[in-house]
Amino acid sequence: MSSTATRPDTSYLLRKLHSFTGILPVGAFLAEHFWSNSAALVSAEKYNTVSQELQTIPFRLIVEWAAIFLPMLFHGGYGIYIWLRGKSNVSAYPWVGNWLYVTQRYTGLIAFAYIGWHLYTERWLTHGRSTYANVAADMRNPWYLTFFVVGVLASSFHLGAGIWNFLCKWGLAATVKAQQAAGRLGALVGVAFSVVGILIIISFRYDWHPFSVYLPSK
Amino acid sequence: MAETKQVIVKVKRQAGPKEAARWEEFSLKWRPSMNVIICLRDIAENPVTRDGKKTTPVTYDSNCLEEICGSCAMLINGKARMACSALVDQLEQPIRIEPMSKFPLVRDLAVDRQFMFESLKRVKAWIPIDGTYNLGEGPRVSPEVQEKGYPLSNCITCGNCLEVCPQVNEHNQFVGAAIISQVRLFNMHPTGAMNKSERIAAIIGPGGIQECANAQNCVHACPKGIPLTESIAEVNRDAWKQALLSWLVG
Repeated sequence: MSSTATRPDTSYLLRKLHSFTGILPVGAFLAEHFWSNSAALVSAEKYNTVSQELQTIPFRLIVEWAAIFLPMLFHGGYGIYIWLRGKSNVSAYPWVGNWLYVTQRYTGLIAFAYIGWHLYTERWLTHGRSTYANVAADMRNPWYLTFFVVGVLASSFHLGAGIWNFLCKWGLAATVKAQQAAGRLGALVGVAFSVVGILIIISFRYDWHPFSVYLPSK
Repeated sequence: MAETKQVIVKVKRQAGPKEAARWEEFSLKWRPSMNVIICLRDIAENPVTRDGKKTTPVTYDSNCLEEICGSCAMLINGKARMACSALVDQLEQPIRIEPMSKFPLVRDLAVDRQFMFESLKRVKAWIPIDGTYNLGEGPRVSPEVQEKGYPLSNCITCGNCLEVCPQVNEHNQFVGAAIISQVRLFNMHPTGAMNKSERIAAIIGPGGIQECANAQNCVHACPKGIPLTESIAEVNRDAWKQALLSWLVG
């Protein structure tokens, strides 16, 4: 007797794919992106070297579409579909998890819109050859700057809460204690990403390079 | 003689699923240890509204009056809970009583929770012990499994976990936390485990465990304190192993 032959519902597979893509590659890419951009905290030259390194990877278009754009489009698009199938009730039941449920949807939408705009301004308009000067010039615009801050905070929150969700939903954090620990890990990731993201924005906006002390003195 | 204390109760009345809903307010005589079921009984005894209009007794389900049968779940002051354990002295007045919103309405406060019982059948929430011949003794259940299983066996299918779940709604056929927890209970039992893959196959079907979005309201609303979020996580782990890995490793 093998009932395992019963194939899982398509919605099951899509949900799992949605959950998985949130961590890999989307979450991992966010980490990589923050890491690369933190080169600005050292110097404009270091930033330009690091971004040129990334801009000249072999098979760039394939890598970009397969590892970044398509997974993000799926994660965002299916996320909106999930949102529409839920019905929030946080006003009647204002528990922490319920607040996170609602916030996860709004931050996801904000992050999705922000990333779309961010790609347009920093990737499309610069023909994939964005430099420190391009980004720093954009940051002079107060609207752009505000959107940068909002986008970074929404993305960081969404990843932090997403890690908690992921660990619970794949049964990797099953007991109450493990889920609390997963929550703390998610909070830590969210705060760390927020702080680093804001520092990078400050770096571009005010030409602030605190780690330039690492550079050999001329 | 001291003035008798009154209890003000507002009940949402609806003669049938297609009839218009209306609110009726009642003023009842306070008694010690009064709960919401006693309020509804007092109304039945003297079905007259606060402004003196004659009405009909309120239709509602209840049976055991000790939070063990699961039939009297309703919305009390906007929150899903058991009416029998909702003590008047702990509630803000006027006490608003409404039927649960996630189940088809029968009349007044009575709803049809058949969806939950159908879902329990779907996941085979039982342990098969009958055969056409004597199957003999089953395997022993270790004390460890007994201890884990007992709290799960306390589920009374009241439906509070479905009522508070944002993922249970008209767009979504999500079976809800109680059913998933029963999958865990019966898969945990050594005899029940013989049908484990069938239960998992059912719970990764339409409206299955994938619809859970981890809002975790269920565990707060459960009157029996069942570790529902733990059950969901445990079943989730078995589910993805079977759904995603069985074609590789059997």
